Amino acid sequence: MARTLLCEIVTPEKIVYTNEVEMVIAPTLDGEVGILPLHAPLVTVLRPGELRVRYNDGKDVEWFAVAGGYLQVHQDKVIVLADAAEHASRVDVDRARQAKELAEQRMAEMKQKPLMEREDMTECEEDLKWCEIQLQVAEKRS
Amino acid sequence: MANLRDIKQRITSVQSTSQITRTMEMVATAKIKRAQEKIESARPYSFAMMEVLGNVARYVQGASHPLLEEHEERKRVMVVTITSDRGLCGAFNSNILRITEDVIRSERNAGVETDVIAVGKKAIGYLRYRGIEPVMSYRDVSDKPTFSEARAIAAHIIPRYEAGELDAAYIVFNRFKNVAEQKPETYQLLPIEQRVMEAEEEKGGMHAEYLFEPTAAEVLEHLLPTYVETLVYRALMESAAAEQGARRTAMKSATDNASEMITTLTRSYNRARQAAITTEIAEIVGGAAALEEA
Repeated sequence: MARTLLCEIVTPEKIVYTNEVEMVIAPTLDGEVGILPLHAPLVTVLRPGELRVRYNDGKDVEWFAVAGGYLQVHQDKVIVLADAAEHASRVDVDRARQAKELAEQRMAEMKQKPLMEREDMTECEEDLKWCEIQLQVAEKRS
Repeated sequence: MANLRDIKQRITSVQSTSQITRTMEMVATAKIKRAQEKIESARPYSFAMMEVLGNVARYVQGASHPLLEEHEERKRVMVVTITSDRGLCGAFNSNILRITEDVIRSERNAGVETDVIAVGKKAIGYLRYRGIEPVMSYRDVSDKPTFSEARAIAAHIIPRYEAGELDAAYIVFNRFKNVAEQKPETYQLLPIEQRVMEAEEEKGGMHAEYLFEPTAAEVLEHLLPTYVETLVYRALMESAAAEQGARRTAMKSATDNASEMITTLTRSYNRARQAAITTEIAEIVGGAAALEEA
């Protein structure tokens, strides 16, 4: 059997995933990184996106939606500190869709207003992004 | 001697009150467990967070970040007060509110203005009544705090500290020590104390050479606000668990007091009943004697 990594995905609310895997592919600020066993110690910032792990000689792939966070690699242990994370099969598609519509509506409303009166839109954008990622990942479940 | 019917009525009323307090006690007991589990499940995240923070701190020696810097002048500080939404939990809220007022008063004496963020209906109500208008208030959090709520609270503090509008931030909450004990506590959120960054270093020994992406300083820049959010989240959860603990204790003693009261009331009820019977017999005997004589 190939050498493996221990991958742990934790959020402030719960542990989302722990498993021995062969490869972790995570979305960082500067693009995706793939982490294999014997990787050098690394700390990096994640952006919202899709994270996947491969195991069983690359035959099994699991997808996760992560809403930004950090990743630390140390001695074949990958810790993902995500603000929020969801396994592809656990994404509540209906809810994500509704939330997405709501966020889009709010964005549209805000754009109607004159520039001076606009509230901070980053929060809204983040919500929207998170919903989109969840939906994207949900499509990939096998 | 109290009237028989009055005593009977009081017994019934105390009985129904004790039924309510007993139920509340049981509900609180069940909720403590759930709240405790939530604290437990948040632990891996905060441990991992401390580890990463410690690692980063080692590489950014003499780290300079707006959230780490102490401001020279103290002009305005923020106090986050965490109380419950519901009452009937003993001194839980009054302890917190007293500490909050102490902080506000001592800061005012030092010529420092205070802004307050109130979490929980009890804090909102009390502070308004005292003429302190919270800059921000949150309700319906105490039952089931979420990370996004903690984030929202932190979002009112971090940018203002970075902009120099605030010179310190404290959080006042009940720490959940164990099921029977809560400890009101004040914790400094900002500036982040240097010892947080140093604590990890001491126990170190062997350290791996870490790579940072993009750079250690940038990782730190992202990490520190998240650290503050985690602190707020933790305080919210501790307070939620402590609230149930406090309510359980309060309701337990209320139930105990009620059953004691029922015992005394039943005793005086019986005494009154007996006295009434005795008087009645005496009256009958007296009446019969009077008839015989006639």
